[in-house]
Amino acid sequence: MKIRQSLLMKYLLIITGALILWPLVLPIYYIPKEFLDKEIKQKIMYLDTEKLEQMWHREASKLNGATPEKINKRLQTLKEQYSMATMFWVDADGNTKLMSPNQINIPNQWTLQDSVEFMKKSVGTGPFTIVSYIGGDSNQGFMVFQVPRSLTEPLSASAIDDMYLLVFAFLVFALFLFISWLFFSKIRRRLVQLQTAMTEAGETGIPDKVAISKIDEIGQLGQAFNHMIDELTKSRKREQEEEALRKQLIANISHDLRTPLTTIRGHAYSLQKESLSPKGEESLHLIESKVDMLSQLLDNLLSYTLLSAGKYTIKQKETDMMRLIRASLVSWYPVFEKEGFEVDVRWPEKGLVWNVDPQWFTRIIDNLFQNVVRHAKSGRYVGVHTEEKEGRNVVVIEDRGPGMNNGSHEKGAGIGLSIVSLMLKEMNLDWTIESSSSGTRIYLHEKN
Amino acid sequence: MRKNLLYIEDNKEIGAWVSEDLTERGYHVIWLTSGEGAIGHMEIADLVILDIMLPGLDGFSIGQRLKKEFPKTPILLLSARSSIDDKLQGLHFADDYVTKPFHPDELAARVEVLLRRFGKISPPLIQLAHLSIHLDQNIIVDSRSNAEIILTAKQFQIFTYLLRHPNQILTKEQIYEAVWGSPYMEGDKTLMVHIRHLREKIEKNPSQPQIIETIRGIGYRVKQ
Repeated sequence: MKIRQSLLMKYLLIITGALILWPLVLPIYYIPKEFLDKEIKQKIMYLDTEKLEQMWHREASKLNGATPEKINKRLQTLKEQYSMATMFWVDADGNTKLMSPNQINIPNQWTLQDSVEFMKKSVGTGPFTIVSYIGGDSNQGFMVFQVPRSLTEPLSASAIDDMYLLVFAFLVFALFLFISWLFFSKIRRRLVQLQTAMTEAGETGIPDKVAISKIDEIGQLGQAFNHMIDELTKSRKREQEEEALRKQLIANISHDLRTPLTTIRGHAYSLQKESLSPKGEESLHLIESKVDMLSQLLDNLLSYTLLSAGKYTIKQKETDMMRLIRASLVSWYPVFEKEGFEVDVRWPEKGLVWNVDPQWFTRIIDNLFQNVVRHAKSGRYVGVHTEEKEGRNVVVIEDRGPGMNNGSHEKGAGIGLSIVSLMLKEMNLDWTIESSSSGTRIYLHEKN
Repeated sequence: MRKNLLYIEDNKEIGAWVSEDLTERGYHVIWLTSGEGAIGHMEIADLVILDIMLPGLDGFSIGQRLKKEFPKTPILLLSARSSIDDKLQGLHFADDYVTKPFHPDELAARVEVLLRRFGKISPPLIQLAHLSIHLDQNIIVDSRSNAEIILTAKQFQIFTYLLRHPNQILTKEQIYEAVWGSPYMEGDKTLMVHIRHLREKIEKNPSQPQIIETIRGIGYRVKQ
């Protein structure tokens, strides 16, 4: 990033601009006025009273011994220069000459009393007055220069009273505020845009990259963010590949184990057709049942691995539970029938609808029935019904086997029940098991 | 007439054994070790038994292709892949899914069910207790009196639906939806009433039915 593209630089520029501009506010305000208002130039002339006094005394001494005509002429010239002043002179005999403009409170014939009165007035509240003896000699007479006090007073007093200056200063201040606001609101807008881009997930579940228009601090942040997205996408892809590989591996192992099992099963079946001793028949039966068990174990192992890794797709929907369980019962009924089970099914009058994944729930029921067939054969009874327990609908699967704690002649129920537990949890369902030596009751219900 | 089964399986041991078993059961088996050339046998095949893990094209691709060209030929997937996802994917196009290892009796039963469901087997005459049923002619005769039993359209549809799925339990909703063609509502007694009337006509003793068996809480079954 080049230093001149940085936001810091831009902000410093604004601040510096403001600092430089501020002292110039007054001159900038007055310069146009100078040009427009000639009067001001005139006014400025009267500001420096000392200079005026020096000028008047100088003029007076220059007129030493001059004729009245000459004095008149000189005063007329001066009057043209100082148009706002009142000028007159008094000759040695006390006659007022060339009063311009005419003033009523000035006597035409001066007495000593008049002079004292006039001087008293001019020192006090009256107009600013300069009195000078012509030629520095009191016998030649004196000349008077008068301007209103308002002209000799400093301008600053009038500047504070100037409404336009206040408005102007306020406008300059507002302009600076506006530029600052513009600068920060632009930054803010870009930050909000960036924040939105970071929060909203794209198609892949990862936020999309942001478009970068300027290479400043925020632009760099955007670049860093894009870099992070790249890394995230890469790692997500890698993870997916690994996951697919693992899933594939498990599926392949399961497949590769099932293939020889199929052959064993096939040959066991072929052997049945041969004439065998009772002991041979028994061995064959054992082989077949173990093949079945192994196959189910493989199935559960595969399911359990996928489930615990959270890689089983779940599609929960409002499901008619009676219909779902009935469909499972249809496939299990022949097995129960063959083993001599009494199948006791009782349904409620009204339907029962739960939010479950039908495939998963079928799997749960399958695992539970599997256990009944394996471990509760002695009870010769399987019951499926619904009941109300603690104010909620419960699906009950019941057998009259020796109970779960009393062991069974066939092991391997653990993983099947772990799968049931995991799947129920995922679907926000819960279960309780009541098991005694006279049977097992499994209650399935929705979590509150 | 012997039915032709097209069997695609790359494992020699399993292939040889299944072919032999099905041949013994009276089918003509065409066994291929890959999907190559399968389409050439489809004209005469009544059913396809398909493995999924095959060299070259896998069973899913082959099955989908065969089903697209010959939608009226049932496909049974016979695979060692047992996950729910595989089954769901398979059942998108296939008509049944059997996982290995399987019992040969189960495979044979499923093959027969599929052939029946697709009308590949139309038994000219079913003997069921005292009934002789000519499914193709829609005639049911009481063999004790040789009198034809006249059923209403709905009764006949229910009965034939059960006959086409012999030894299978059919749930109330399955039967209702197949016959009435609309979703079954829990607690609807229509089907029960129809079955009671049906039994009055075909059973020797309607209070102790022999032909249509009630599986309490589950459905009905006709054993053949």
